[in-house]
Amino acid sequence: MSIAEETVTKGTTSKNSKYLIFAIRKDEKSELKLGVNAEYVVEILNNYSITYLPMMPEYVRGIFNMRGQIIPVMDLRLRLNKPVGEKSLLVVLNYEGMELGIQVDSVDRMVDIDEDTITTIQSQEYQRFVLGMCTIPENEETLLILNCDQLFGNE
Amino acid sequence: MGSRNDILDTYIYENSSLLEQLESIILDAETINTLSQDNINEIFRIMHTIKGSSAMMEFETLASVAHRLEDMFFIIRENSMSVVADENKPEFFNMLFNAVDYFRKELEKIENEQPLDTDIDDLMNSINSLIDKISNKDSNESTETEETTSEEAVETTAKAYEENPDYPYEVLVFYDEGCGMENLRSLMVVSSIGDFCNESDFLFKPQDIEDDPSTADKIIENGFLLMFKNSEDREKAIPIIRTAGSVKSYQANDYEAPQKETEKKVEQVAENVEVKVETVKQEAVNNAPVKTTSSQAGTSSQSSSQHQKESLISVHQSKLDQLSALVGEIVITEAMVTGSPDLKGIENLNNFAKSARQLRKLTDELQDISMSLRMVPIATCFQKMNRIVRDMSKKLNKRVKLNIIGEDIEVDKTIVDNIGDPIMHMIRNAMDHGIEITEEERTSKGKNPVGEIILSAQDTGSEVIIEIRDDGYGVDDEAVLNKAIKNGLASPDVEYSHKEILNFLLMPGFSTNTEVTEFSGRGVGMDVVKRSVEELGGTVTITSQRGKGMTTTMKIPLTMAIMDGMEVSVGETIFTIPIQNIRQNFKVSPSDILHDTVSGEIIKIMDNFYPIIRTKELYSLPSGVDEIEDGILMWLESGDTSYCLLVDELMGEHQVVVKPLPAYVNSFDIKSCGIIGCSILGDGNISIILDAGNLSNAVFRK
Repeated sequence: MSIAEETVTKGTTSKNSKYLIFAIRKDEKSELKLGVNAEYVVEILNNYSITYLPMMPEYVRGIFNMRGQIIPVMDLRLRLNKPVGEKSLLVVLNYEGMELGIQVDSVDRMVDIDEDTITTIQSQEYQRFVLGMCTIPENEETLLILNCDQLFGNE
Repeated sequence: MGSRNDILDTYIYENSSLLEQLESIILDAETINTLSQDNINEIFRIMHTIKGSSAMMEFETLASVAHRLEDMFFIIRENSMSVVADENKPEFFNMLFNAVDYFRKELEKIENEQPLDTDIDDLMNSINSLIDKISNKDSNESTETEETTSEEAVETTAKAYEENPDYPYEVLVFYDEGCGMENLRSLMVVSSIGDFCNESDFLFKPQDIEDDPSTADKIIENGFLLMFKNSEDREKAIPIIRTAGSVKSYQANDYEAPQKETEKKVEQVAENVEVKVETVKQEAVNNAPVKTTSSQAGTSSQSSSQHQKESLISVHQSKLDQLSALVGEIVITEAMVTGSPDLKGIENLNNFAKSARQLRKLTDELQDISMSLRMVPIATCFQKMNRIVRDMSKKLNKRVKLNIIGEDIEVDKTIVDNIGDPIMHMIRNAMDHGIEITEEERTSKGKNPVGEIILSAQDTGSEVIIEIRDDGYGVDDEAVLNKAIKNGLASPDVEYSHKEILNFLLMPGFSTNTEVTEFSGRGVGMDVVKRSVEELGGTVTITSQRGKGMTTTMKIPLTMAIMDGMEVSVGETIFTIPIQNIRQNFKVSPSDILHDTVSGEIIKIMDNFYPIIRTKELYSLPSGVDEIEDGILMWLESGDTSYCLLVDELMGEHQVVVKPLPAYVNSFDIKSCGIIGCSILGDGNISIILDAGNLSNAVFRK
């Protein structure tokens, strides 16, 4: 956290934005790091009960009640064709007025990312859900930026 | 949008309602081809208000148009409708409609924060030419009246209070009749003015308002006169007067020597209309008993509308939405508290149960009231159709009468807001394609030469049924079918029933008129109507008889917020089914079940056969009963479909707050599978609300 704070105090002259990093397991050993612009993140929950909603694609797990608001839940791992682990956290996003909870394996932290360092990518099978990629400043890991437009769209 | 200026909102709201009122007056007047004195007064008042508020908001063009119209009605008011010669009447009414349209258009621009139209010459010219025609007709007569009235007016003011040339800026205030304590009300105004204005800078009459209660009578009779040294102080005082309680009217007047006033000519009247008109108007109020009966009527109607205004307030819709949401939450929380699992095992709950019942009763009432707040008469939407019929009859040269039935039925505000376009579309359709082109054609068929369109609303308790019926051609099945085949909607080798053919009309990309006209058939068809009605949770059906006409029926649930439902469980999932769709619930054994050729299950109830739908299978639910004798059958009915639904268990009847499904979920079109919403249960879980009609459609379509 301290790193993030430091970057903030340094000032946001370039197009720095905060991103929330969360992880999805690719296989037994490796993880996929995904980021979403923090301004879309409403809440992170680890205790929630989903009501199954029929007639939806498999990756839509159902709906849940967040303080009287009905929010759909999507399993991001199923959406990206990744194995579903036992544990999952729910990240509630609000993108252009639409709310959606996405299930992920774990939530990492917040980082500041210079928008200019994000490069668009061309390939990969899940590319349409990825806006671009960049390196996380402090540990040289690769971060995939989620494409909310695609994620919130329906096919 | 939330940041929009409140005053601007009020301005738009008030002026739109005034325009609506104005339009309906003109529409009525046009049919009888004259204006009653009451209506003339009313139009005058409307123009005056629009002028005043527009000037205040600095919409100069609007103010000047309103000003000219006010001038015109000033002349008409003084000389009655006879000044408008018969040959000028069509022009007169058309000009008024144009003016209404102009104001509407400009208000819309203001609302959308677009720049206003600066070119108002056309409209102004048409108003001016009418004013010329009117005033030429009997200028002599009007001159006389003008002068006498202005003379009288000055006299009354002069007689009542002695004016002071040192304090030339006057305001004369009148209170509502019978409001009482006029002297103390005035004192309050005076003390508020004293907050910003030096005591030596203004005077008021009568003076002893604090100590002498008899001054109240003087104020009732002559008004309360405030006089200022500086016009700025008066400007500041006016808002105070306006907001003071029970103020019926006030007039700002500049002191002038009486003889000067009488010298004024009619030509100047138009110029100075603001000041003079006020005087004249005020005088009408004062001297009502000695005036003619017509002006008496005008005065009383004016004051009654003033009173009505005070008992109504306008509230922003978002506040009502918040209130409904909050009440919904309270209902849920109440159920959560009274049904709390912590209460289990406590022996003596007498007092608790008593309070809980009381709470229940109160929340029920609260719910009823908060729902009723959102209900408005459908009239606002229906009345607009008069204008459309009028305009189209002129353009298409068809005489058509619009009959409106049931306009006082109250429906949710969202319905009124959204139903206008579909109704308008259907009425245009009826005018354009429905009603016969010539009157001879109608007479030869034995119909009244004047076409008729009936627009009716009917309240069935749970839904409102809106019908648009015309007595024109009716639907030509063959033409529709050919068109449908041409557009690829129908296949040429299939036999279609009359009902199926009518359904093509509601499909996207269908428009029977080959020519695109100004009014209908802009490439969009009735599918738009269908979609908008469905968005309100309603349905559209068309019936037609060749040669007799066509009827469009829209059924819309009265309110979508709260409903009575039966909660049922299927495995882990809880569903809510609207009570009005349930005919009966019963248990059956496998021997009661019949099978059709494609392994469908059928049950015989009272000599009729009904298909059975297993909820678990329909929705591929993970759990739930498989043996039919373990579950319970619900006999459901919606419209003309009837079937039985197998569920696990009935959990009880509840009043539920309907929450719409999130937009993301709706984009998967689950509404057509019968899932129309959800509601939050007492324990925080969610139940899924099913629509009996759509559910069966989903099954039998497969």
